[in-house]
Amino acid sequence: MISTKDLTKKFGDLTAVDHLSLSVKEGELLCLLGANGAGKSTTINMLLNFVAPTSGSATINGLDATRHPIKTKEFITYIPENLMLYPMLTAIENLDYFSGITGRQLAQSSLTGFLEEAGLQKDAFHKRISTFSKGMRQKVGIAIALAKDTKVLLLDEPTSGLDPKASNEFGNLLQKLRGKGVAILMATHDLFRAKVVATHIGIMKDGKLVQQFVADDISLPQLEKTYLETMNYKEVLS
Amino acid sequence: MLRYNFIYELRILLRSRWIQLLSLLLLLLFGFSAFNGKEKVEKRKVDIAAAKQEVLDTDQSMLKLLDSVERGMAVSASPWTIPTSPMAVANYYPRVVAMDPQPMAFVSTGQADIFTHYVKPTATGDDFALNFTEMTSPVQLLFGSFDLAFVIVYLLPLLIIAFSYNVLSSEKESGSLRLLASQPISIRKWVFQKLILRFFWLSVLVVTTLVLVILIVGIQPLEWSKVFGLLGLALSYMLFWFSLAFLVNLYVGSSAKNAVSLLGLWVVFVLLVPSVLNQLAGTLYPMPSRTLMINEMRERKVEATKRQDEILDNFLRDHPEYAINDSTQTRSFYHNYMASQKVVKEELAPIVNAYETQLKKQQSWSRQLQWTSPAIVVQESLNNLSGTSTADYENYRRQVIAFSESWREHFMSFLYNNTLFKSEDHTNLPQFQYHALGQSGVPKAILILLAMALVLLGLGFAVQGATRQKGILAD
Amino acid sequence: MIIKTFVKETKESWRDGRVRIAFLIVLLLLAMAVWVGVRQYQNVNEQYRTAKNTERILWDNQGEKNPHSAAHYGTYAFKPKYPLSLVDQGVDKYVGTSIFLEAHKRNEAQFSAAADQTGLARFGDLTPDFILLFIIPLLIILLGYNSFTKEREMGTYTLLKSQGASNWKWAMGKWMSLFIPIFAITALLFLITGILLSNLKDFGVFKWQSLLTMFVIYMGYYIIFINIVLIISSRAKKSGIALVLSLSVWILACLAAPKAASNIAEAKHPYPTRQEFAANVLKDKKDGLDGHNPWSKESKLLEQQVLAEHGVDSLHQLPFNFDAYRMQKGEEHEAEVYFKHYNYLKDQFAQQSKVYKGLAIISPYLPTRFLSMAVAQTDYATHWDFADAAEDYRIATQKFLNDHFAENSNYGDWSYQADANFWVGLPSFEYDPPELGEILTDNTSSLWILGAWLALSFSILLITTKTI
Ligand SMILES: Nc1ncnc2c1ncn2[C@@H]1O[C@H](COP(=O)(O)OP(=O)(O)O)[C@@H](O)[C@H]1O
Ligand SMILES: [Mg+2]
Repeated sequence: MISTKDLTKKFGDLTAVDHLSLSVKEGELLCLLGANGAGKSTTINMLLNFVAPTSGSATINGLDATRHPIKTKEFITYIPENLMLYPMLTAIENLDYFSGITGRQLAQSSLTGFLEEAGLQKDAFHKRISTFSKGMRQKVGIAIALAKDTKVLLLDEPTSGLDPKASNEFGNLLQKLRGKGVAILMATHDLFRAKVVATHIGIMKDGKLVQQFVADDISLPQLEKTYLETMNYKEVLS
Repeated sequence: MLRYNFIYELRILLRSRWIQLLSLLLLLLFGFSAFNGKEKVEKRKVDIAAAKQEVLDTDQSMLKLLDSVERGMAVSASPWTIPTSPMAVANYYPRVVAMDPQPMAFVSTGQADIFTHYVKPTATGDDFALNFTEMTSPVQLLFGSFDLAFVIVYLLPLLIIAFSYNVLSSEKESGSLRLLASQPISIRKWVFQKLILRFFWLSVLVVTTLVLVILIVGIQPLEWSKVFGLLGLALSYMLFWFSLAFLVNLYVGSSAKNAVSLLGLWVVFVLLVPSVLNQLAGTLYPMPSRTLMINEMRERKVEATKRQDEILDNFLRDHPEYAINDSTQTRSFYHNYMASQKVVKEELAPIVNAYETQLKKQQSWSRQLQWTSPAIVVQESLNNLSGTSTADYENYRRQVIAFSESWREHFMSFLYNNTLFKSEDHTNLPQFQYHALGQSGVPKAILILLAMALVLLGLGFAVQGATRQKGILAD
Repeated sequence: MIIKTFVKETKESWRDGRVRIAFLIVLLLLAMAVWVGVRQYQNVNEQYRTAKNTERILWDNQGEKNPHSAAHYGTYAFKPKYPLSLVDQGVDKYVGTSIFLEAHKRNEAQFSAAADQTGLARFGDLTPDFILLFIIPLLIILLGYNSFTKEREMGTYTLLKSQGASNWKWAMGKWMSLFIPIFAITALLFLITGILLSNLKDFGVFKWQSLLTMFVIYMGYYIIFINIVLIISSRAKKSGIALVLSLSVWILACLAAPKAASNIAEAKHPYPTRQEFAANVLKDKKDGLDGHNPWSKESKLLEQQVLAEHGVDSLHQLPFNFDAYRMQKGEEHEAEVYFKHYNYLKDQFAQQSKVYKGLAIISPYLPTRFLSMAVAQTDYATHWDFADAAEDYRIATQKFLNDHFAENSNYGDWSYQADANFWVGLPSFEYDPPELGEILTDNTSSLWILGAWLALSFSILLITTKTI
């Protein structure tokens, strides 16, 4: 569903993403771990054609994301680190708007259905977004994904700044989506959450994918050890 | 997408109170300015009516005097003002030569505050010395008038800038652009729709408030075609600014940068281009010095007075028609005066015409270059629509000169035939009727503005390729 | 602290391409405006000198002529251009430059430049005053609208606060970083203008004090704008809002208020139309002595009075030409009528001025505008002063001619002709515009208003930055 081949992005002299090749199939969840500046966000941005790759290719559902940005986005839902919606509109209006502009007209009942499925409390449906917490906004984001019948979910540090309970709820939602056959790519620093929700885990450093595991093959302490070793690469060598 | 943008744009505009604020502001601005315009036009009408009434009154007393004289009664007036003398009528009983306001005159003050709207040319007065400027405090001329044209030309673009400078950048800054850009839609198209919708709502507000204000002000014999011209101008001018905002939104970046760029464009189009054009027009086609003209005029007059008798003889030889029935051969001061005045006038014609030709050249030059700034296009068109443009006053001036010529001619035959002015001659006095310029050029101006707007919009869509390659969030 | 903030702000602004470009554009415009102004100034003054000399030659060479014919022939008073009009054109464009001085009639100055220009002229001219009054305040807004909001947006604000930085010193630093560049650019303009003017030939009346006064007035104007922009920036939540608010103030102060003031002033205290004015004058003239009409009631009265005074019983026995005497008396009556009617205009304008001063509450532009024009001697008051001087000269001329006529001829002798060399005896018209001190005392109210704006904006700035 999601795949990249030798995907590279240079910002001047800096190589943010360096010959990255990965693939996420339906029902899989790949967690990309890595320090700040490792190139995780840039990878996601290239999948969305927010930035054009310097070389290599990114494909979504078999379509080149750079050449067919609008077509590929039909399959994608993206939840940025800090999901912002229209503060002047209510939750249900935001959902209606984002579905509507992409040509998906939904009845009121299905709108509430999606919000419910995303786990938003009922009394918040008709409240303006300006009163929402980050967790609540993300639930609306998930509802947008549900309404879109999304095939790909791109998440950039979704759990940063969430309290453990909200973070857990969010994890459960992801499991549910994965169950529906959605391919999920999630960039995060949260090793614990990664271990819990991911099917696959990758560690990025300086734009390269330096380690890759199947989540079930590795325990949390092992993951943490490997991660730290990878980060302090040079010090370990010396 | 359009349907949803339409529904939610309206909701957002209502909830953020933009619509309410704009309606109020427009109502206030249009109301105040139209009221000002209306007041000026009313004053103009009252002044003209009063002047005409005064002529009617003095005519009555003239007829009374004539009647008394004709019946051989003694009159108390100074001998040279008794209207049996044709030159007394020609000088002391002038007609009101008025430029009646056009139905849309309240829209734009134009040159109306500089120039007078009625004069009373006399037979002995110099045409070129006729003072066509109005008695106004120059401070008022300097500051200009808060009229509808000012609101449309200067303030409307600023409202549009405030209303549209951050359509895209605010999404970027608040963060909602990321979600939006991850949708399978073209952001360019989305920005376009947003702006067109804002244009639509602002148009609705402008049209309703303007029509409302016009109805309240009361346009006399409902000249709706002109009202449509006004609306057409306002809307196409607005479209131009929205197109500019579209381009700036797409290419500039942060809200602050957008605002500064749009504002810079406003300064360029509304303030700088017109003043630079004016400066250039003056440099390319300089007006001859009026002070030097005075010298010249006076020298010619001195010459003419020296040759008075000769002039009169030549004049009567050249124009036997004036003295066709004269048997008395009486010669008075006026016989000499009128003849030499005519000669001086003919001699001075080229000097006086130099101003008109120069002004004409300036005008046609600036008309050719007006497309460099839509503000000029709109201001000039509104002036034309209101009948207050430079051309209108020139037209009036020409008609005044023609009238005073015919006024003088009318009395010249009395004078050189040495006939007296009688009561029955009163009805044959020349009358003046002002004829306004026909063409207003508004449709053409609207077309020019629309073409400009379309070019800008086209530019926004044409350079699509480049940014798509780079990606929407790249800077 | 003040210096540090100042240096940091200046660096930041200078590194911002927009600011650099804006600065360069303003400098370029100023250079252009001054260049155009100097040319125009020289041109107009050249014409003025030619016209004045030619007119005098015409007058002196009238030959043998009846003095009263000469009075009707008349002469012209031309208005010169003053050096500081280079900086502020004021109302010069809208008032006439020449007044025809003839017998029996006070004429208004005619041939204003604006009447000879196309509609474009009404948009304004590219003159230094346009840039000083409109564009530099815009530049201040551009430089300063985000002074405080940017700190908030970048989050550096909390950091600064946590460092225990004094609000006052911090604000002063920002104030300086706005003030110094504006001060520099304005000082440069005035310096160049001063040097240009003192190097022009025949600049005569140019005084550095006046230029300096003008500079101080403009600096006051800019300080008010700097304060307003900083107040708004310190209160606004976002840069965008601060920008829009500052611009609204600019629009209100520089564009809307003057125009609205002009409309209100005209509606409340209108001038008569030219024709009305003429009709009113005529009516009053008729109520008095007409020098050309020996048959009127007033003439007879005067006759009896003069005869009684001299103890003779016929006009022929008087030691002077009674026709000329009557002419002079008529002239005096007419002058009085004009004095009254022109005073009415002045009163109307005084009332209008009150409206302008009233609206100065929402617009620091208005007092600055009036002061600047006044110091440049391009304001309406100077024009009045010139017109009054011309009228005094006209009255004196009439007296000169009538007296000569009266003393050198006998009653009824209309064919009397003065010598060809008599005309040279008339002193020529010299006009000295009011001195700087006089101008300033005449405009104290504007000075007070500007001062009040300064004091008020400074104190509000102090209060807002304290509670930031
Ligand atoms: N638009 C950009 N211009 C220049 N450099 C960028 C840009 N976006 C990201 N970078 C740089 O690319 C590198 C990778 O960034 P990013 O993908 O955001 O890392 P992260 O893994 O923390 O999400 C960083 O060094 C960042 O500074
Ligand atoms: Mg990141």
